[in-house]
Amino acid sequence: MAGPLSVGVNLEAFSQAIGAIQALRSSVSRVFDCLGDGLRNRETLEGREKAFIARFRDNLHSVHRDLHELERLSNLVCKPLENHPLHNSGLLSLDPAQDKTPLYSQLLQAYKWSSKLQCHAGLAAGLLNQQSLKRSANQMGAPAKRRPKAQPTMLLLPPQYVDDVISRIDRMFPEMSIQLSRPNGTSAMLLVTLGKVLKAIVVLRSLFIDRTIVKGYNENVYTEGGKLDIWSKSNYQVFRKVTDHATTALLHYQLPQMPHVVVRSFMTWLRSYIKLFQAPCQRCGKFLWDGLPPTWRDFRTLEAFHDTCRQ
Amino acid sequence: MNIKNVSQMPVAEGKSVQQTVELLTRKLEVLGAEKQGTFCVDCETYHTAASTLGSQGQTGKLMYVMHNSEYPLSCFALFENGPCLIADTNFDVLMVKLKGFFQSAKASKIETRGTRYQYCDFLVKVGTVTMGPSARGISVEVEYGPCVVASDCWSLLLEFLQSFLGSHTPGAPAVFGSRHDTVYGPADTMVQYMELFNKIRKQQQVPVAGIR
Repeated sequence: MAGPLSVGVNLEAFSQAIGAIQALRSSVSRVFDCLGDGLRNRETLEGREKAFIARFRDNLHSVHRDLHELERLSNLVCKPLENHPLHNSGLLSLDPAQDKTPLYSQLLQAYKWSSKLQCHAGLAAGLLNQQSLKRSANQMGAPAKRRPKAQPTMLLLPPQYVDDVISRIDRMFPEMSIQLSRPNGTSAMLLVTLGKVLKAIVVLRSLFIDRTIVKGYNENVYTEGGKLDIWSKSNYQVFRKVTDHATTALLHYQLPQMPHVVVRSFMTWLRSYIKLFQAPCQRCGKFLWDGLPPTWRDFRTLEAFHDTCRQ
Repeated sequence: MNIKNVSQMPVAEGKSVQQTVELLTRKLEVLGAEKQGTFCVDCETYHTAASTLGSQGQTGKLMYVMHNSEYPLSCFALFENGPCLIADTNFDVLMVKLKGFFQSAKASKIETRGTRYQYCDFLVKVGTVTMGPSARGISVEVEYGPCVVASDCWSLLLEFLQSFLGSHTPGAPAVFGSRHDTVYGPADTMVQYMELFNKIRKQQQVPVAGIR
């Protein structure tokens, strides 16, 4: 790590490295210029080709030389300190030209603005929860004053935290296994296998559930390329219905301040499908209605109902 | 694997097999089921050749070689209460070569043919069981696709069966009770067909009016 003593040395290496980058850029652009000019007019085709190849080779050699120089210099340059409280953005405050590029102050402004927005959104969510507009259940949010003071949470949670939350939920339910994967960057995808009844694909954005697809235990959940197939629907009507209900549940379980609670409640709700084929409807007492078993699970009591019996 | 239940429908009093099948299919169509092609299951009996039997006077076991149009590339070989072998259709050729050990019983071929009906996630196959030229009974197979553990969905299947078989609903086959948590496979279906065929074979001496 670069201490205060080595700063001078470092700065020199930096300026040399910048010079080397400029040299590299100019030699690279010479290569492209040469390619762009193409074969110049000469008497014979052979002469033209020879001259062109010679020029091209010279240019490539100089690129090679400059690149070596840059690599040599880059070894001298240390990585900047990383333990700044604002991470890399903190380095912006070191920029001496405040007047020309006021990035740092703008950044601070934006940060303040976004945390204020978050705070207001949280309060609004609390108020809206009391005025329940939900059709399917009259769940009232807990009184706002009893809730712990809302921390301004970050939308972008570290992947490590997401892993922790998911593995804790995985341990909570022995009959449910959760496989976490990140095929596309930081967003996690879960493959939930519930007993020998169903498989559910849950797409997370940070710790918010974006989409869910429910399929049968014996259905293929992977595409031909071996990735999780998050688009195609189940072949069975009963699981298409369960997918619809699961999407309703996503909209129902909302608590912006505590996303991990949302994921846990959703999984608890999903777990009640372990008795999908065994539980009769709590209202009509039958198994089948229109050829489908009771696919609806109440959000609070987790009791089984037919879609038409739940009102 | 999809859960299936194979059962026998008794022929109604004073009606022929054909009429009872028509009655049943009409009930299914009223229920809203859609016709979806045909199916066929056949079974041939082989018994162990006398030359290979041991001297202790043991009796030869019967082996059943079956085909199912749902699994057109497979051939099933079963022993009663014994293991079930699932092989390629080439197995038939192999059986010809094994003449010295297994001999085909004469006029033992029994088969069921009929129509498949789709109703939601259920697949119903109503077939006429024939042995040689004569129709001997009716088979009803109900398949429920989404479920893979038989004991989970028995009550659900029973309710569905009641909706079109009325009072003739069967008891739970052995497959549904015995093994609790195992995944249902094609062999389980074939065992049920084998038991059904054996039951029907035993009834062949009984006069037609008494068939149940």
